[in-house]
Amino acid sequence: MKSKLLLIAVSLMAVKATAQQKHTISGTIKSKAKGETLIGATVRVSGGGGTVTNEYGFYSITLTDGKHKLEYSSMGLQTGQLEFVLRKDTVINLSLEDESVALGAVTITGTSTKRSLSTPQMGMEKLTTKEMKNVPVLLGERDAIKVIQLLPGIKSAGDGNAGMYVRGGAADQNLILLDEAPVYNASHLLGFFSTFNSDAIKDIAVYKGGMPAQYGGRLSSVLDIKMNDGNNQDFGVSGGIGLISAKLNVEGPIQKDKSSFLVTGRRTYADMFLKLSSDSSLNNNKLYFYDINAKLNYELGDKDKLYLSGYFGKDKLGVGDLFGLQWGNTTATLRWNHIFSNKLFSNTSLIYSNYDYTISINSGSVNADIYSKIRDYNLKEELQWYPSSNHSVRFGINSIYHTITPGQVTTSETSQINARSLEDRYSWENAAYLTDSWKMSDNLSVTYGLRLSTFSILGKGDFFNLDKEGEILDTLHYKKGEFVKTYVNLEPRLALSYKLNTTSSLKASYVRNTQNLHLISNSTTSSPTDKWVASTNIIKPEISDQYSIGFYKDLFNGDYELTVETYYKSLQNQIDYRDGANVNSVSNAIESELLFGKGRAYGIEWLFKKRVGKFNGWVSYTLSKTERQIDGINDDKWYNARQDRTHDVAIVAMYQLSKKWTLSANWIYYTGDAVTYPSGKYQIDGQTVYYFTGRNAYRMPNYHRLDLGATLQLKKRRRWSSELAFSVYNAYGRENAYTITFEDSKEDPNKTVAKQTALFKFIPSISYNFKF
Amino acid sequence: MTMRNSFKYTLLGAALLLGTACEKEIDLNLNGNDNKLVIEGVLTDIKGDCSVKLSRTKDFADDNSFAGVSGAKVQIFFNGDTTLLAETITGVYTAPELSGVSGNTYGLLVTVDGEQFTSTCHMPSKVLMDSLSIVEEDLFGDITKVTNVGFKDPGGETNFYRFQQYIRGTKVKRYYVRNDDLTNGNDINARLYILGEDDDDHEYDINSSDEVTVEMLNIDASVYKYFYSLSNSATGENDSATPANPVSNISGNAIGYFSAHTVEKKTIIVP
Repeated sequence: MKSKLLLIAVSLMAVKATAQQKHTISGTIKSKAKGETLIGATVRVSGGGGTVTNEYGFYSITLTDGKHKLEYSSMGLQTGQLEFVLRKDTVINLSLEDESVALGAVTITGTSTKRSLSTPQMGMEKLTTKEMKNVPVLLGERDAIKVIQLLPGIKSAGDGNAGMYVRGGAADQNLILLDEAPVYNASHLLGFFSTFNSDAIKDIAVYKGGMPAQYGGRLSSVLDIKMNDGNNQDFGVSGGIGLISAKLNVEGPIQKDKSSFLVTGRRTYADMFLKLSSDSSLNNNKLYFYDINAKLNYELGDKDKLYLSGYFGKDKLGVGDLFGLQWGNTTATLRWNHIFSNKLFSNTSLIYSNYDYTISINSGSVNADIYSKIRDYNLKEELQWYPSSNHSVRFGINSIYHTITPGQVTTSETSQINARSLEDRYSWENAAYLTDSWKMSDNLSVTYGLRLSTFSILGKGDFFNLDKEGEILDTLHYKKGEFVKTYVNLEPRLALSYKLNTTSSLKASYVRNTQNLHLISNSTTSSPTDKWVASTNIIKPEISDQYSIGFYKDLFNGDYELTVETYYKSLQNQIDYRDGANVNSVSNAIESELLFGKGRAYGIEWLFKKRVGKFNGWVSYTLSKTERQIDGINDDKWYNARQDRTHDVAIVAMYQLSKKWTLSANWIYYTGDAVTYPSGKYQIDGQTVYYFTGRNAYRMPNYHRLDLGATLQLKKRRRWSSELAFSVYNAYGRENAYTITFEDSKEDPNKTVAKQTALFKFIPSISYNFKF
Repeated sequence: MTMRNSFKYTLLGAALLLGTACEKEIDLNLNGNDNKLVIEGVLTDIKGDCSVKLSRTKDFADDNSFAGVSGAKVQIFFNGDTTLLAETITGVYTAPELSGVSGNTYGLLVTVDGEQFTSTCHMPSKVLMDSLSIVEEDLFGDITKVTNVGFKDPGGETNFYRFQQYIRGTKVKRYYVRNDDLTNGNDINARLYILGEDDDDHEYDINSSDEVTVEMLNIDASVYKYFYSLSNSATGENDSATPANPVSNISGNAIGYFSAHTVEKKTIIVP
């Protein structure tokens, strides 16, 4: 009797188990044309549920057994559909076909993927290759970074300046990753070009808030850039020739479907124009850059894949023999993807990253080279686990060894300068993190995670104790490998989304970030020689706590999107300079030139976007405030941070006039940066000296600019297609201030005047792009 | 010439060549200021050089004339000796018989309307010029005559220098200061470049048979810091990250400096 009951119970359980039997569908999604894996492609299950592919095109979803219909989609590609009966764990690899095969314009149609209102991720914008094709062309180059700066909350530092400001953050608070390798200076010449060659880029994601726990190390944003893998179907060449630059891209299969390579190079020749000048002060000058992106990938088997990618870039600038400056980034990433099971995906990365510059001075009796670098060796291991259809979990570790050479002086024997160098600085950064995206109900999703970060400052080197005035009290000597100090920080990350109805949702997030590498600049304009400095016993880790809420609404069947986000950031251990600071001093105690305090930033961002159709584009508007309070500056009162901009507007429009012509335009307007101007003057030693009363108490003139672009698709032959791209930068010739200086008037030396210098007024350009 | 300026000049040069850079005067609404007291105190090793100038800061829109402060009590101290300076011109106080000696520390006390301002300054040892010459250098493609001061920096001590240059009797409006951080104990050729002049401005051009005079000053560390920070952040010319008032060695609610320094003067006729 007893055993009979048990038997029934067991069989009941078996029935129950059968009813709930679940299996996993996993695989990789690629583009059919090139075999490129697709990042963030959507897998939707009819009747609810779904997932997206990870950075390597991998997805995994667990469903109850039975009949299912799956829909696979990705921006600019035809949606794939699949119906099947699930009985056992299944691998489905899929290739999606292009919607349009034209080189130039892609009209985004209504069938293209809509944004997801239910993912908790907020403060994030994505650009894929397909979208990049549609962005306005400036100076003959499609530059995705420039396009990102047209989004709300992300601001360009202005003409002639590298870098960007995200939600009130400084230019050094952006984590810029190229295939996971940090890039320490993301701009070329005059800030006009970014280091990222759009031809080599697959996907860009920028996070201005709510950063997931796998990212860390910078306060304000993450710019995660993934390079193309290379076409594993066909050999292809594309390139372009413009007024100031030329580029070439070669890619192809090493083994069809399995492995491929990609090499992309660029070179500018702006200095060729300098040679044309009869002015001897110009025609001896050098001014150019080149860069190379290369990538290899190799499939070791069904479960393993290797990627090797690298970037090398160099800028050179020279004034005759008198003065030379060259700088550049080098990165290399080796990655190994391993699929442990259909629910567990692993990636291991070995990363090298280097930024350096050399200044050469060759003037009269002063002959010296000054060399500086920051170099990282970096190991990352991440596991992605898809336990059920409601959870996706990531956890991993990251370890980076930094070496900073702040300034190494070498001289010729005849030079009157003594070769003396600043000490190298060593540090070891570690992190461990765990994050889970949990779909709690049909309407409520949450991503929560924790990142533990540590930063250890290592010897050998001298460290200091300073008094209030920044004078050295005593010097502490550390031996090689000795721990000077370790900072430990816990960074909670939380993001929530609540779907109000099928067309709108509310999201909220909280994120803490810390930063241990700081860029010290001795100027209001950016220069390649700005210095990276690691935290020390005196320079504490910068900390940011950001709270953000947002409202998302799809209008007219998702053809239009409205996004409103607001944020409040509280910042600790922010760095600014003492009055009259000399950050180029040859002292090892750079801290004596710095002061530390707190900051706050808040704002509201609006983005209204027309996503589809012949005419598309967006309007973005940001209203914001960024302030600092540092004892010893501005009488210890709150003052505007340099990057504080009250209003910031961008309008971007693209119009496909015909099959041949695509037109684009963008207009931007922003409040001038907060700067320090004199409030008075006096005479010292017979010369006018200016009198200052408050830090950043004045404003640069407001900035605005219109750019126009047009692309003409030329006649297509079988495999050959080409286009001409025309553009005008600053179409109405607005003289935007680069610097403002004060001097005695030339006409009346008894008066003083303010003088504005503008860099770029009306720059037309033309370029020719081809592909076969 | 700093490397930063070279970077800027090249950038501007390139932009100029593209025909895109442009300069213009603009109007800025620069608020009024609190008319702060400015003290410029000098004591040298030569009799007749001692002077203390008192003035007040003016609004940006005012003229550049010296706004002297009259009726102040100005004293210079050394050990127990006090010298009271006499006001010779409005705001200029002098002591024609007073000179200093290297190695001594001097004090300054200024009393204006009952408010006191003080400073001390050390007069450093005197380093003499070995030579004063004119050399030709290729500056941005132009062969330019540049004044060169040759001297030997003493290895056993930290030295700070300041130079003043006069061309055809006109004082060059530039600040020349240097330390021996990277040049301690070396034979130095200090070149007094005049950069940043417009092409059509010939006021400071050095030509054959011109008279060029140089004063070499040995200054105290605090005075070096004052002039270094002044030239970096208060001349209105450059784009320092922190335009600010120079770091003063005067205590009290005033700006300016007090310098006790040595002076050596040399003149040559340009060959």
